[in-house]
Amino acid sequence: MEDLLSVNNLDFFYGDNHALKDVTLPIKKNKITSLIGPSGCGKTTLLRCFNRMHDLYPNNRYQGEIMMDGQNILGDQVDVINLRNSMGMVFQKPTPFPMSIFDNVAYGLRLKSIRNTSTLKEKVEKALRQAAVWEEVKDRLNENAQGLSGGQQQRLVIARTLAVEPKVILFDESTSALDPISSKKIEELMVELKEDVTIIAVTHNMQQAARISDFTALMYIGSLVEYDDTATIFTKPKHKMTEEYVTGRFG
Amino acid sequence: MDNLKRRKIINYVAMTLASLCAAVGLALLFIILYNVLVEGIGSLRLRLFTQDPAPPNLPNVGGLRCAFLGQGLLTLVASIIGVPLGVLGGTYLAEYGRHLKICRLISTLSDMAVSIPSIVIGTFAYAILVKPMGVFNGWAGAVALAIIILPIIVRTTEEMMTMVPWALREAAFALGAPYHKVITSIVWRSAMSGIFTGILLAIARVAGETAPLLFTSFNSNHFQLNLNQAVPSLTVSIYQYAASPYENWVGMAWAAAFVITILVLFLNIMGRVIIKLKKRD
Repeated sequence: MEDLLSVNNLDFFYGDNHALKDVTLPIKKNKITSLIGPSGCGKTTLLRCFNRMHDLYPNNRYQGEIMMDGQNILGDQVDVINLRNSMGMVFQKPTPFPMSIFDNVAYGLRLKSIRNTSTLKEKVEKALRQAAVWEEVKDRLNENAQGLSGGQQQRLVIARTLAVEPKVILFDESTSALDPISSKKIEELMVELKEDVTIIAVTHNMQQAARISDFTALMYIGSLVEYDDTATIFTKPKHKMTEEYVTGRFG
Repeated sequence: MDNLKRRKIINYVAMTLASLCAAVGLALLFIILYNVLVEGIGSLRLRLFTQDPAPPNLPNVGGLRCAFLGQGLLTLVASIIGVPLGVLGGTYLAEYGRHLKICRLISTLSDMAVSIPSIVIGTFAYAILVKPMGVFNGWAGAVALAIIILPIIVRTTEEMMTMVPWALREAAFALGAPYHKVITSIVWRSAMSGIFTGILLAIARVAGETAPLLFTSFNSNHFQLNLNQAVPSLTVSIYQYAASPYENWVGMAWAAAFVITILVLFLNIMGRVIIKLKKRD
């Protein structure tokens, strides 16, 4: 099984706040890796390192490396815009842009200077089908995306991310703001998407991590406690803390 | 029980006082509007819009055509100067400079600048644009008006853009969008109706200004729209006509006041309607 990314001795600082401490873990290609842990443990901070979202704010500092294709993506010479093209991100709350459904999905494509209408149409349809939302929106592609339901918006956002054909999609608690049926649809979708992309998902939902992920990493106050395949984490973890966390006795 | 009674009385007194104050304010506003309406409509003639000023002793001749056009031109030039500066300045404060202390200071100063008396701004424009040139000129008037609308537009733009959730920007960044694209295609688009309303209200604020024009573009009785000279102004004309001893001039001042009041009222109502429509979404 191939590692797409490897996080090596990663430290991260928000100013003086040491938010990630010496984190080392692999991310397997075409698998789902879940990051779990109590609030404030650093799982979202780690997730946001992969697409360097932290670069947007002053005084943030990385130390260590995340290797992809033989290159440290945290390096200064890395083009962040290119990096983000290959690292899609889906947020907790749906983030449809204030434009039509079609323009939402075409947004990333147009950023890449794809202007040809038939190419755009083709790619938008493909992405919407991949995100299992095509049937619901195909007759209203020109309507404002903010009129869709929350679950549809989230799948639209996934389609928007898929349209630019990323290698990785980062899910930041992307089902926690949705109703159970919508969230189940997103879960099923994530499992289907494994064929095409590698998925890293932050979740508070233990059952969800157990159901969908191939690998699970438990974090606690900025450090990685345990990383293993999901079955091991949930049935015979090596650390007592892991066992207590996944069984709900602490968290 | 006693305590409850006391609180009820205090509540009643406070409510009565507040209502009374509101009533006085509203009553004054309505008296002004009523006066302008009655006197204005009574003196309204078509020639107000079709003829240029004539000497006061000629009955049934003369209007304020050039003053309407001049006022419009000054407001237009002021908007051309002030709107882009204001929108871009507000954008800087809300986006690129949002972490800088100096930008917080600029925001606060802009809030204060909104309440600078307009005559002070008129004096400033006089000092930098009239005195050196030696003549009253339209540019000075337009610049004075632009200075008045600038802080209003800066602040509304900043506020409207700050209200756009950060998650939306991050979502665009996550797709590999550069910052300028995020601003133009996401933030401006989300904040558009608010910014537009701010611009409208700012223009409404200066459309009826007299003081900043008194020492700058002054006034002219001729049909002349050359900004290098004094430009006819409706508000300054109203000021001069209303203070004149001639009955037909005073009447014309009422009529012009009526027209400009309706115009400003219309701009304001339009602004509020847009805000209301936006809130309903």
